[in-house]
Amino acid sequence: MSDRNIDSRLKWTAPALAAGWFLILSGLVGTHVACAGSETADNKACLRCHQMTTLAYRDPETGKIVDLSIDPKALSHSAHGELACSDCHAPDFERYPHPQRLKNESLSCVRCHEGQDDAAERLYRFQTIDEEFEHSVHATSDDPKVAGFSCHSCHDPHAFRNSQVGEDIAQIVRADNAICLSCHTKVQDPLRDPHTWLPNREKHQESVRCLDCHTPVSEDGQTVSHQILAGNDSNRDCVNCHSKKPQLLNRLYQYRSETDLANQGWVSKALFNEAYVVGMSRSPLIDRLALAIIGITLLVLGAHGYGRYRAHRRSKEDQA
Amino acid sequence: MSQLYLYARWVRIWHWINALLFLTLMYSGASMHFNGAVLLLDFQTAITVHNTAGILLTIGWIGFVIGNLISTNGRHYHVQLKGFIGRLIAQSLYYGYGIFKNAPHPFHPSAEAKLNTLQQITYIGVMYLLMPLLIISGWAFLFSVYLPETLLGIGSVWVVAMSHLTIAYLLVLFLLVHLYIITTGETVMTNMRAMLTGWHRDSHQETEG
Amino acid sequence: MKPLQNLLSTPARRRLLIVALVLIALTLAYKRLYPLMFESYVGETNARLTYDSSKTLTDAEFEALATDLSREARYRKADSIVETDQAPFARQVKIEILMGTESVVRDAEPSHIKYFRDAGIRRYEGPDTCLTCHATIKIDHPDGSVSTINTLNDIVNSVHFKFQSSSGGFSTYGYDGRRVNSGVHKIPVGKIDRACGIPGSFTWTGWAALVTAKPEHDGKVEPQLRSEGCGQCHIGGNYQPATEKMMPIGDVPNEVKEGIDCLICHSTQYDMNRRVVIRDAHGLRWDQDRSMRAALTVGPIRAENCLRCHQHNMGGDTYTHNAAAQQPGYEHQRILHRGAKRGNPFSPQDDAHAAAGLECTDCHRPEGHKIPRGRKGVDLVANDLPGKEVSCESCHSRAPHNNSEHKALLNGHIDRLACETCHIEELQPDNVVLRDWVHPTWNAEEGIWEPTDIYRSGAPGKGFTFLWFNGNGTFLANALGNNPNGSDVYNPLMRQIARIDDPEVIAAVRTKAVELKQQYPDIDVERYVQIATNPVSQLTPDMLKKRETMVRDNLRGPMNEGESRIYPFKLFNAMMYEDMSNQGPFGAMILPFDYKTYYETGNSKAAVAKAVQDPIVQRMYQEPFKLYMMDEFMAYFGVTNGWKTDYPIVDGTLVNVEPHWMRQMGTLMVNHGIQRAGRECTDCHSPNGIMDFAKLGYTPERTAELENVDIAEEVESGDGRAQSGSND
Repeated sequence: MSDRNIDSRLKWTAPALAAGWFLILSGLVGTHVACAGSETADNKACLRCHQMTTLAYRDPETGKIVDLSIDPKALSHSAHGELACSDCHAPDFERYPHPQRLKNESLSCVRCHEGQDDAAERLYRFQTIDEEFEHSVHATSDDPKVAGFSCHSCHDPHAFRNSQVGEDIAQIVRADNAICLSCHTKVQDPLRDPHTWLPNREKHQESVRCLDCHTPVSEDGQTVSHQILAGNDSNRDCVNCHSKKPQLLNRLYQYRSETDLANQGWVSKALFNEAYVVGMSRSPLIDRLALAIIGITLLVLGAHGYGRYRAHRRSKEDQA
Repeated sequence: MSQLYLYARWVRIWHWINALLFLTLMYSGASMHFNGAVLLLDFQTAITVHNTAGILLTIGWIGFVIGNLISTNGRHYHVQLKGFIGRLIAQSLYYGYGIFKNAPHPFHPSAEAKLNTLQQITYIGVMYLLMPLLIISGWAFLFSVYLPETLLGIGSVWVVAMSHLTIAYLLVLFLLVHLYIITTGETVMTNMRAMLTGWHRDSHQETEG
Repeated sequence: MKPLQNLLSTPARRRLLIVALVLIALTLAYKRLYPLMFESYVGETNARLTYDSSKTLTDAEFEALATDLSREARYRKADSIVETDQAPFARQVKIEILMGTESVVRDAEPSHIKYFRDAGIRRYEGPDTCLTCHATIKIDHPDGSVSTINTLNDIVNSVHFKFQSSSGGFSTYGYDGRRVNSGVHKIPVGKIDRACGIPGSFTWTGWAALVTAKPEHDGKVEPQLRSEGCGQCHIGGNYQPATEKMMPIGDVPNEVKEGIDCLICHSTQYDMNRRVVIRDAHGLRWDQDRSMRAALTVGPIRAENCLRCHQHNMGGDTYTHNAAAQQPGYEHQRILHRGAKRGNPFSPQDDAHAAAGLECTDCHRPEGHKIPRGRKGVDLVANDLPGKEVSCESCHSRAPHNNSEHKALLNGHIDRLACETCHIEELQPDNVVLRDWVHPTWNAEEGIWEPTDIYRSGAPGKGFTFLWFNGNGTFLANALGNNPNGSDVYNPLMRQIARIDDPEVIAAVRTKAVELKQQYPDIDVERYVQIATNPVSQLTPDMLKKRETMVRDNLRGPMNEGESRIYPFKLFNAMMYEDMSNQGPFGAMILPFDYKTYYETGNSKAAVAKAVQDPIVQRMYQEPFKLYMMDEFMAYFGVTNGWKTDYPIVDGTLVNVEPHWMRQMGTLMVNHGIQRAGRECTDCHSPNGIMDFAKLGYTPERTAELENVDIAEEVESGDGRAQSGSND
């Protein structure tokens, strides 16, 4: 039922992944840095300190711990894995203690990504992301806690990579929600979680991305928007997922590739068409089979009853 | 004409409550399963109704089992192995052939055995096999958060969901046949009346006695 | 007789009656007969305990005491409020005024004065008195729930009372690779404290002793009785430790429960001079302060209360700021042990947390009478709440440094280093590392024979060392862990804690050996130095090979578990008599000493022979004990073929008993004596730093890097140490 959607999504997702995320990020104004993989980055000097997992300090202004550690493995697997540190950061950083003037360095994702040669060919442009974000609650809220919210608040440039088609969905959900939960701690507190209205709250949290409800329902074929909605504006309609044609859920399942399904053989294809969701008949096989048997049974019973009626009439005639 | 008091009051009360719950569960279950179709409950209501009715059904089922353990009603579910096959064939032949020839009923309810062999094995299957499975899978749904990630290598919610669905369909099937079979008594209403009043009327009793 | 006939009228009733009678008989047997059998089996003495300090006061005496205590308390309070920068007389007048005000009376007066007055309590009779009101207590659990429990049961089942435990939850691994008490067969562990300052360290044989000391003053010998024994630090007040709790059934007798010393922990004015050994008609036991003064001054538990006992094993008895050691007794003064067990005192002078006014229970947050020791620990000492965290991090977070320009870099080190590694620069200089129990030395001043401390030091690399630690330990207290690089090179059981390389330490040991040779001419100095500094050299080649195999096959797993960080560990080894029938590659069963014999005669061998004849040691060498726990104990100990019950005394002489050093040093965690200022970078990051990176399992390249951190000197010259700002 959703095959067509997945198809069309794949068509644009693949080039988007290839072209979009493996681009570079640069904070150097007006400098266009060479493309990914142009040279082997030797980041060892920086990582000597920055791979310490506890490299962090407490910001005197906010009282919060600012994590400076970079997991070398995560970095090398990330979207920016092939870049040298100095491709994005000022080369002066190689000195320790780092020069004071560099500490307010700001890096703009959109400027760099839109500066790419093929940026215009992308279906989902950083320009669009930026526009969507402008309407996001993360940009519009006047809550002091969202002051300074940027791309990096969610997308750690040293670790972020897009979810790939074929990855374990539960893992995608976990990784995705971890980003939200790192700030929205209230959600993890059972006493204060605003999602208590949701039946089977934990189950929902581990099988659905926060984004699936907290972004506007976009058209078929469009990816999840970066316009994050406030709680009150978000989807609260169960039927959006729990129905024959679940708009919200389909976006999540775009990551399940057809080849992936094919590899599991026809039985599991029939069985595992998707994970079961209440209200979505995810096993049309059983439905069809059951309804057919029920229909046949009704026919047989009708015929039997008719037979009995005939016999009854006959016996009455005999008696008469 | 003879009268036999076959269905104790508690059995009748249980039966009709159970029937009501069954219908409620079928309707609310279908409302969730085929959400969005016409004439069905909306999703939120269906959840509440289905959960409530399910819990009540569980209590009712436990009551039924306890009732059978402590009252004499339980003996109707003890299969008499002697002549079992013969009786089964006789009963099947009756439904499949004899009934069209106005043949006499091969079985006559008595205080010791009110269920014919075919009824007996069906009810045993339904009450002691399908119902517990339905109830367990239903509760597993309610507490799905505590289920292990996978069951036999398959997502456990999926296993639970598919069992619940399959059993539910089987019980719908049972209900249809059950509703039809009760019309096959002495008269169309004989069995129905028995379950309402507790008294079974049987004209054959007289002729044989 | 009618009712009885009625009762027996049907077979069902008759059966019921028989069952009831059998149950009553069994209960009686369990409650009355079993304790008697048990007492005779282990040679226990139990009797009703009386204490001289427990006296009935008249109402007038009570009120006089109450007035005194109230006045003292109000004075302290007022004194702390009134400013000091004024004329003493003016200040005195203000203090007097303040002392009379309602709020000071309410806040400062010991609360139990009113309680006792109202309840008519004029004598403190031990737990009975406390339980009048505190029969149950409410416990706050970490999950926020509250439960009400029986106070007496709680304390009787706490480690403070029984000091052993059969429960799992230990992070201790046997040398056979099994986690202690993780299986079905759980054995009681604890009770043996080989690093303790008392010879033998066997609570059964060393509970309470009166030693005749013969101190020499100006050439004159004045014999006096001195107190010694484990009972000085354990709250049971009986003639022996509460052995019942070691058994699967049976309860501690009521007499013993009545001997529990509530006030040593709960009173603010407990008189430690009362804590001495006394002799009564039934034997030797420890006295307590059961005075009304102590009882009326019950209050919230402060560090001072805990330190009455615990400074003994932290700072040590001879530590200047050990308050309890200033009150050794009015008579039978306790023997103060020289050579500190850990050498890391908790006192405002030597610990940043104590100086900040923190109480022990701020970190060791109790649940009722169960007090957490944290999840990490290498020793075998029982742990009431093994799952409960006690850590620096729970207060200081993962980013504790806020003062330095290099705070991020300092915080970065937490990934690999425990806080203690930098913030305990050294231990007390009298921290004992090598102790020879076999060749005692005469202490003329005290008039007793004391074990000879071959080597004491509080310096890094000497008195303590740095080891990877993931929270696991071995059965003989060796820290387990591994370099996160998964190195096979890091092998402390064959290297750091099995061999002393430091030439200074070796030289010091040699000097001491030469000294000892004058007293004990049989000593071969070279051999002595060798076995003291290289204890694995005592093993036969076969044993050595077996040891290597066991470390590789059994301990690598627990070493590689979890996250390891580098911790400082106090080193300790001792030469003791061992039962060579029960020997393995990591050591043999050590045998206890009889205090009296040891201290008075200096004949260590005779002291062992005496202690081994204690009934419970004899039981240990019998079949039931073997099956009940000793086989399992030996398996954890690394002895593969079970416990040999060959009693080590035949015809009054020791057989197959030899003096040995344990085959490796024990490593004790040090977590107190925390200093505010940490180490300098170059303390470690220099070619001759205190940390041996190569032995810690770093590759030669990485070792070279770590020893020559280019920015280390730059950082120091710029900013100095993290907090102190000194630049030298």
